[in-house]
Amino acid sequence: MNDDDDLELQALRRQLDDAFETTRPRAGFEDALWARMQARRPAWQRLRDFLSGLVETVREVPAVPAAAVAAVLVLAIGVGVLSFGGFHFGGAGSTTSLSSGAQPGAAQNFNGSGGFGRLPSPGLQTAPTADTGAPKAAAPSNQSATNLYLGPAKLIWAGQLYVRPGSLPVYRYQEPTTADADRFAAGLGASPTTRPAGTLGDYAGDGFVLGVTGSSRKPPSEPTFFLTPDRSRLPAAGATATDTATAFLSAHSVSPVWPYLIAVDQVDGVTRVSYLWQFAVSADPVAFVVNQWGERYGLEVDLKDGQPLQAIGPLPLNLETADYPIISADQAIKKALASSASAPASAPTVRLTDAELVYVLVNAGDRSFYEPAFLFSGTFPFYGATHVKRVLVPAIAS
Amino acid sequence: MLADRPPFEDLYRDFLGRIYAYVRAQVATAADAEDITAQVFMNAYQAYGRFETRNTTPAAWLFRIARNATLDHFRAHGRRERLRRTIEHQPVSEADPAGMAEEQIQYRALLKHVAKLPERQRDAISLRHSGLSFEEVGVLMSCSEDAAKMLYHRALKALRESVQEEMA
Repeated sequence: MNDDDDLELQALRRQLDDAFETTRPRAGFEDALWARMQARRPAWQRLRDFLSGLVETVREVPAVPAAAVAAVLVLAIGVGVLSFGGFHFGGAGSTTSLSSGAQPGAAQNFNGSGGFGRLPSPGLQTAPTADTGAPKAAAPSNQSATNLYLGPAKLIWAGQLYVRPGSLPVYRYQEPTTADADRFAAGLGASPTTRPAGTLGDYAGDGFVLGVTGSSRKPPSEPTFFLTPDRSRLPAAGATATDTATAFLSAHSVSPVWPYLIAVDQVDGVTRVSYLWQFAVSADPVAFVVNQWGERYGLEVDLKDGQPLQAIGPLPLNLETADYPIISADQAIKKALASSASAPASAPTVRLTDAELVYVLVNAGDRSFYEPAFLFSGTFPFYGATHVKRVLVPAIAS
Repeated sequence: MLADRPPFEDLYRDFLGRIYAYVRAQVATAADAEDITAQVFMNAYQAYGRFETRNTTPAAWLFRIARNATLDHFRAHGRRERLRRTIEHQPVSEADPAGMAEEQIQYRALLKHVAKLPERQRDAISLRHSGLSFEEVGVLMSCSEDAAKMLYHRALKALRESVQEEMA
């Protein structure tokens, strides 16, 4: 069949081309949808083939000592403290330099009567149980080029770990409500637009749209906001990506109020400025917040062509805190190496050379926790590539 | 991520409008089209890790998701007949906030005629004019490239008749 001679049909084809070419969604839909998708980012970014769920065991935590102090940390209040460098408990050699999070900036202490009781145990993402040990998992794409190995391994401790005896705070937050999200949005000058299922709300402000989501258990994530600007109305870019990102956050009143470390990465053609979340821990400098992969995270600003594309970060929340006694260095090392016993003969041998104190989010329904843990790591070669093995040991004494 | 797989953001920017137009040509309201388009990209976003360029093109992959989502939309809500009634008897509300931007689009009337075509004809025209090759249309519609061409030409003539009937 040949319709080339049929002028009517040719004209109809052109009209159809024009019709489909000019039919587009309303202004703002593209950015709003992208914002919603970004809020789900961890679901597709995190080692797709290895989603086996976070192992959550519950252990008994002793009552908090009488001297323990509970506190309420107000994320929205505090002094931004710029901190440079991670916190390592000794250990030489290579580290698993990956990104991570932020921490509340100020605490308002009050006398507590006995902590949070039983705590769910933090853990890292694990490989499927049928895994034979061969490295085959890659690190999340937005992190370093490190190949993250999730399978079993024969572990050797070859570093140094010093743990100051005593206790460490556990932080707890109550799941925010839609009213909380509305208040946060109002503080940014945004009004509700819709409340899609699974979110706390979508909002629109002058030159930006805002989305707020609650906690997620798989993958574990805290309540999060994502702010998407109208890119046609942005001011001139700053001298550096960090300058632009920082000015953008400040202009929208969402600057981090906790200590952070800035990291700049290229992710899928986008420049990502991350304000990595840290908790100040008594006499020790800081402890990064890490996700289920052991990756640091925090508030992120994506830049495209030098201009902000979107900011994503933890929703400011009130954090309660209670101190719990922690395990010793020897206990932590023993626990880190304990998984070796069940490693098959084919599993690689990994020398763990680094350990650092971190905080890990553990979702537990209406209330969730940031709990201290020791993150051990070591590298090993496999078929020409260097892989990283991480082991997370809860710091709270059982 | 595979080296030959484009960043998802590129796909999103390149195809959002086309997917929306494809969906919009088949459903009654802009709001429905937005809902389905959002579902398409949410699904694609989560599945992108499993997408392999050696099996299909990004366009064909996305339009397959869009086609399935649109079919699900009709199946789940029994809207097929309601759609016909809407198109045939109910003028588009000028006050529909979600459709405000679309009021400016001069080809809406033509797409209404497309939406009235039988399902496979409507699909063939929508996929073809969303930029897919006949080969890709055939794959999506489970027929050969030649069959897709035939189906498209029949759909085109049916569309012309529909337009002419209204003008008569």
